[in-house]
Amino acid sequence: MISAENLTKQFNVRGVPLVAVNNLSFRVSNGEVYGLLGPNGAGKTTTLRMIMGLLEPDSGYVEIGGVRSTHKSTDIRGQLGLISTNDGVYPWLSVREMLMYFADLYAVDQSLARERLEELANLLDLGGFIDQRCSTLSTGQKQRVTLARGLMHDPPVMLLDEPTRGLDVVGSQAIFRFIDLLKLRGKVVLLSTHRLDEAERVCDRFGLLHRGSLQFEGTLCELQQATGKKHLVDMFIAFINASENSHPVAIPSNEQSTEA
Amino acid sequence: MNKYLSNGRLWRLCQKELRESLRDRRTLFTLVLMPILVYPLLSMALQRLVIGSVTKTKADPVFVIGAESEDTANQLQGMLAEARLAMDRGFVSPITITRTAEPKSSEAAKSTPDPDGSNQPGLDQLPKFDVFISDQETLSKALRDGRLDLVITRMNIEQVQLERGTVPVYEILAEFRQNDSRSEAALSVFRLATQMINDFQAEMIRKGVDRKLPVAMTFNATGIAEREDLSASIAGVIPLVLILMTITGAVYPAIDLTAGERERGTMEALIATPAPRFALLFSKYVAVVTVAVLTALANLFATWMTLSFGGLGQALLGKNGFSVWVFVQILPLLVIFASFFSAILLALCSFARSFKEAQAYLIPVMLLSLGPGLVTLMPNVQFTSLLGIVPLVNILLLSRDIMTGQSSMVPAFAAVFSTIIYACATLVVAARLFGAEAATSGSQESWWELFSRPKKSQMLPDAGELAIYLAVLFPMFFVASNLGGMIELKGSWALFFNAAILFLLFLLMPLTYSWYRRIDIPTTFRLGQGTGVGEPLWIRVGRWVGYVIGVVLLSAGLWMVAFEAYLLLESWSLAAQLTEADKQKLKADFLAVPFLVVFLTGALAPAIAEEFFFRGFVLSAFRSKLSAYRSVLFSSLLFGLFHVIAGSVLSIEKLLPTIILGLAIGYVAIQTGSLWPGILLHTLHNGLIFGMSRFTEQDLAKWFGDDTKHIPISWLCGGGLAIAFGIALVFVSSQRKRFHEDVI
Repeated sequence: MISAENLTKQFNVRGVPLVAVNNLSFRVSNGEVYGLLGPNGAGKTTTLRMIMGLLEPDSGYVEIGGVRSTHKSTDIRGQLGLISTNDGVYPWLSVREMLMYFADLYAVDQSLARERLEELANLLDLGGFIDQRCSTLSTGQKQRVTLARGLMHDPPVMLLDEPTRGLDVVGSQAIFRFIDLLKLRGKVVLLSTHRLDEAERVCDRFGLLHRGSLQFEGTLCELQQATGKKHLVDMFIAFINASENSHPVAIPSNEQSTEA
Repeated sequence: MNKYLSNGRLWRLCQKELRESLRDRRTLFTLVLMPILVYPLLSMALQRLVIGSVTKTKADPVFVIGAESEDTANQLQGMLAEARLAMDRGFVSPITITRTAEPKSSEAAKSTPDPDGSNQPGLDQLPKFDVFISDQETLSKALRDGRLDLVITRMNIEQVQLERGTVPVYEILAEFRQNDSRSEAALSVFRLATQMINDFQAEMIRKGVDRKLPVAMTFNATGIAEREDLSASIAGVIPLVLILMTITGAVYPAIDLTAGERERGTMEALIATPAPRFALLFSKYVAVVTVAVLTALANLFATWMTLSFGGLGQALLGKNGFSVWVFVQILPLLVIFASFFSAILLALCSFARSFKEAQAYLIPVMLLSLGPGLVTLMPNVQFTSLLGIVPLVNILLLSRDIMTGQSSMVPAFAAVFSTIIYACATLVVAARLFGAEAATSGSQESWWELFSRPKKSQMLPDAGELAIYLAVLFPMFFVASNLGGMIELKGSWALFFNAAILFLLFLLMPLTYSWYRRIDIPTTFRLGQGTGVGEPLWIRVGRWVGYVIGVVLLSAGLWMVAFEAYLLLESWSLAAQLTEADKQKLKADFLAVPFLVVFLTGALAPAIAEEFFFRGFVLSAFRSKLSAYRSVLFSSLLFGLFHVIAGSVLSIEKLLPTIILGLAIGYVAIQTGSLWPGILLHTLHNGLIFGMSRFTEQDLAKWFGDDTKHIPISWLCGGGLAIAFGIALVFVSSQRKRFHEDVI
């Protein structure tokens, strides 16, 4: 389970303080897909980096399975899988070499890694090109390699950072199937995206992030009831307009929604 | 070891990086194709230069000789006219002159490989000699500057008594520029002329013709030490080319494996893994160094082939040319250089976000490294000890000197040792920069954070802090130890000066650095009492009685071991090179300094300063990463290496004794968890050594017997027992205490 409590992070950009994440709290349970939604610059990536322990929050903390990410950041990273927009491959390595390399970085035993590789090759249909150099792969094939890479160490928590950006319909479809698979395996999935339509399709719960603060959190049903709008896109526009015109909308209690 | 990093795993990570680099066509291009293209071209260019310098000599046969007086000038002209006359008459000498030159310097070895003149080139006519008259000083300077080809320093007539009567003999002394083709050509023509006159006179006497000139001429020539002629400058080009090519080999993999990760989009996935950042960078470093070394090897081989088979080797590098021995010496130097420069490249590229940015950082660095490279090409640049600590320049000059067979020990040691330290420090910086930007969401703080005062305090310095600190300390220490010799302090003042330097570099600076980096000073420097927390007074006193007796026993035995270890390498020492009179004088100077001064500056001050640094800072830094056993070993090695440098000489003979002392004090420091017993041991040890060295041989003979050089076996056995009891006592006295020093 991921539990973020009152996360705050501020950067200094050329001497000017910029609040990237402001007092952010949310929880994601096992087998749940949580959508962290927001426009570009809302603070999604900063939040993910604090979860991974790469950035230290100015205040607040993140716990993964009850362990604070800043305390045992190395161990925490071993529990996490990360798949992001810009993920690339090593052009001069074969698919097999690259996946085995990442298994090594996560300290997965060599024989276990070979088993996982076979399993993932079947699951994601890598068999046809597993010994080819990555530079010869098509975009779709590279994407599947990236997904396999995220699962080589079988992490209980999966962080997906804008995974469909730049992909066509078929590519996005593969990601949705992958998320379903993760859910089926009981993993904690945190999906960060600005594609609200996609999020609507795969997420169980949502957190709407704007200017580093959580504007609203809940299931689609709860959101629809609270806002009177049917789609996330409409809700989001309403939230943004409201927050720009007046004070932020009152945030419903986190406790309530996580228990749901 | 970290559970995310085993040796096998690190090896596999290195393999992956190497595989990636070596499969890349661009790496292979610089590795293989460049040497194949560059060296034939370089060889052609060098050939032209060398041939150019030779033809210049031939095309301009008017040589200029310097003489001190009108008289000498006239005699010279007369002598040359005589030789010309002999030549015009078609005289061929039947006699081989053996009395010609018994050179004072290395003339025979270097410039005239055939002293009997049998292989001298025959001359159709004697080249013209102009004579320039001035005082000795001007002449010498003009000769050095290359405006004169030969200077006649003496021209006397002596009457030599022979069987058939007295024969006047011209004794001519001359100076020439060593290894300068033009000056050497003038020398050999002049020598040929004297030989010709001798032969001609002999022939005339044999025929019964009376001559007005003396019959015999002796000719001695001294080469002045000016080796920086055109060939020597070209010899300097070779290391520069080799080093530039090595850099070229490393550049592409360095960019590709760091900034390339970011450009490919693999960096984020990489730093999100639990693998230690240092291990990630280290595997990349290994790959970059390997490619650089392979490039160096390919280039060195190509150079060797070019110079050995093109006949250029001898023309550029002297008689032996580019021998296998030179090859064997240059290669490790290139490896060390590649290790250093690869670290620099990785540090810079780790900071870059893209290929382009990395290239933009590297171009100024490459141009900057050309600067010192060109300095080494200038004539008269001597490889001094102080240049030994200047990165890049040191390796270039050392390679040049190895190639021309003139390398010397101190700068060579400084060059190698400092380059290794710089490489370690740069690698630590690179590891801290690597991936930092990707983790901090583009905030531009990473460079500053490296050197700024950290927000959090830390218990011990880590190995990285040590590497960075050493990279600052070593050059300062080296300059300081040379400084003592330069300002020529005498007696006690010199000793106080050294002690002050030790306090500054080994005590004040590490303390200041630790304070700045918020490193816990009492823990790092082991300032505790070496007793357990909350122990009753009598136990604490008991422990200290044990420590003091143990340390006294250790010092009673250790000085003997140190002395015998010193004797093992004594032949390397400066003392071994001194004459007996010099030794007596040194001893007299030493005895003139009061023992209290010697004790304070030679025993107490070094003990305090060096213990703070080596058993405090260094041992703790190693201890943060390594076992106690390895930490003591490495800190002792460093302790030994720092003692090898003593002013402008290398004291190799000190290496072994100091390592042994370092091991012993390291043991005491780890065992007691306190610095103070070690300071006592160090003081007693140095004090005993200095105390013993104040006795004369007669005094020693009373105790040692006939062999005053070695310590008697019975003494050594006693010393061994004292050491064993000392170790045991320290061990027993430090048992069963529980306090935080246990971790260090």
